[in-house]
Amino acid sequence: MAQRQVKENYFGWRGWVWAGRYQVERYLYLFHRITGLGLVLYLMLHLCVMTVFRVQGQGIYEIIMRLFDNPVFKAGEYLVFAAFIYHGLNGLRLILQELGFVLGKPTPPVYPYKDSLRKKRPLVLVMIALVLIFALVVLFDFVNGGF
Amino acid sequence: MSTEKVKKLKFKVQRFNPEEDRAPHLQEFIVPVIHGMTMLDALFYIKENLDSSLSFRSSCRMAICGSCGMLINNYPYLACHTQIEELKAETLEIKPLPNFAVIKDLVPNILPMGLKHRSIKPYIIRPDAQEMENPTAEFCQKPEELNSFLQFSYCVKCGICISACPTSASDKLFLGPQALTQCYRYCADTRDNGTKDRFPVVDTDHGVWHCHLAGACSEACPKGLDPALGIQLLKRLLVTRALGIGRKQPLVPIVLPPTVSKLKIAAPEFSVPPIQRET
Amino acid sequence: MRRMRHTYVWFAQLVTAALIAAFLGIHMVLMHLEDILGFFGVEIHEPTSWGSMIERAGKGSWLAFYILFLAFVVYHGLNGLRGILLELMPSPKVERVINWTIIALGVIAFALGTYVPVALFQS
Repeated sequence: MAQRQVKENYFGWRGWVWAGRYQVERYLYLFHRITGLGLVLYLMLHLCVMTVFRVQGQGIYEIIMRLFDNPVFKAGEYLVFAAFIYHGLNGLRLILQELGFVLGKPTPPVYPYKDSLRKKRPLVLVMIALVLIFALVVLFDFVNGGF
Repeated sequence: MSTEKVKKLKFKVQRFNPEEDRAPHLQEFIVPVIHGMTMLDALFYIKENLDSSLSFRSSCRMAICGSCGMLINNYPYLACHTQIEELKAETLEIKPLPNFAVIKDLVPNILPMGLKHRSIKPYIIRPDAQEMENPTAEFCQKPEELNSFLQFSYCVKCGICISACPTSASDKLFLGPQALTQCYRYCADTRDNGTKDRFPVVDTDHGVWHCHLAGACSEACPKGLDPALGIQLLKRLLVTRALGIGRKQPLVPIVLPPTVSKLKIAAPEFSVPPIQRET
Repeated sequence: MRRMRHTYVWFAQLVTAALIAAFLGIHMVLMHLEDILGFFGVEIHEPTSWGSMIERAGKGSWLAFYILFLAFVVYHGLNGLRGILLELMPSPKVERVINWTIIALGVIAFALGTYVPVALFQS
């Protein structure tokens, strides 16, 4: 008998990104992960700058701050702010829904099935609208030199 | 004489013979499709007329056994429960259910799902175990108590939720939405007193806390179970227990069936005298 | 407490999440949104400048704010990272390595982040 091959059919981490034609809630989760990782990365850099460079005195600190004055860094800072807005608002939605509060009660299934997350789709739309509004307000401030 | 329109559609089916093939490949078939045919009908047509070596699971053909879960045009469906016309496509691509190993062609190895399901103790656990083994009476469960978990008891163990779950895609040790929802189904059942036996199983590194509410399991479930809701309610149970603010759910009492004397009072108009029981 | 360890860890993630939403909100508004602060009548000029930082470094309330803020952020962020790593590499041996590495990273980050403000406060 020939050697039996076993085909492992797992999506792996690529399955986080795409596993089929799913609706928006699955991608909210993916984006929450991406913004979370981005924020942790920024945290590490921010801590380094605020401690290592600050203790070295005003001279070094101001040289570094002038380095950060160019548009690429400013755009990066805006992205961090936008990531925080999304991660925060989605996180508040997750706090409510993962404890089962804004998720409805179990009901006997009647075809065509509509599950609790789809029933609460308006909450998701409100959250996305809020994210866009806050991001635009901050963009206005950023463009006006507030950064 | 049938005047139904017959359309010839192209089916690309993933084939994999573990004894001959090194890797899976797609094989094309042309299948005549009429209105009302399901994907399972098409697969049987292929097996009976085109290539009898095609392997797939099926049993009830009415979405109650959970055998025929497959990835059809990149979405998990039950093949018996999906009309070909529903997909509105000229080419249908059928692959085995992802996040399970493939035994042959379209047959997934769902043993891990069964083992994880068993690990959460999917049976009623009560202090009066004798009553469960040799029942003498009836459980007095109210309709509201039943409705709090009834939706989750319709699981047919098809594995489609596990295919949809992003965590199950990368984490083989994750219990999966099926086992976690069944854990909640038993914890919420007022006949059951086994939460302290089940909590150590789900309160682990690969238990309920790796669910992040992507909601794909509920979206794909062919029986409308809403596993996402069950899992979040399980999280709520765990948190309230950990914080000590959970309400203790009383076990339902058992109710003895009415005795013959009560029957006599209730139905005096019987023409046949009631059976005299020897006391 | 030992028995429902993971539940407590996850619940602390939620609690720190809500607190960070408040603290980081204040921090971001202070650092970046000068126009909007001006709209509300709060005048802070150049909050990232050396002078403004020295002014804050001398106040006890800001020190407490930053230390608490750092604790919440380090816990929440590194716990999230730990979850992602555990899902990518699910094996019991690797889990122990990941857990202890994350804890070590957290201790170092917290120590570094508190040492500097405390030292500057006392000077």
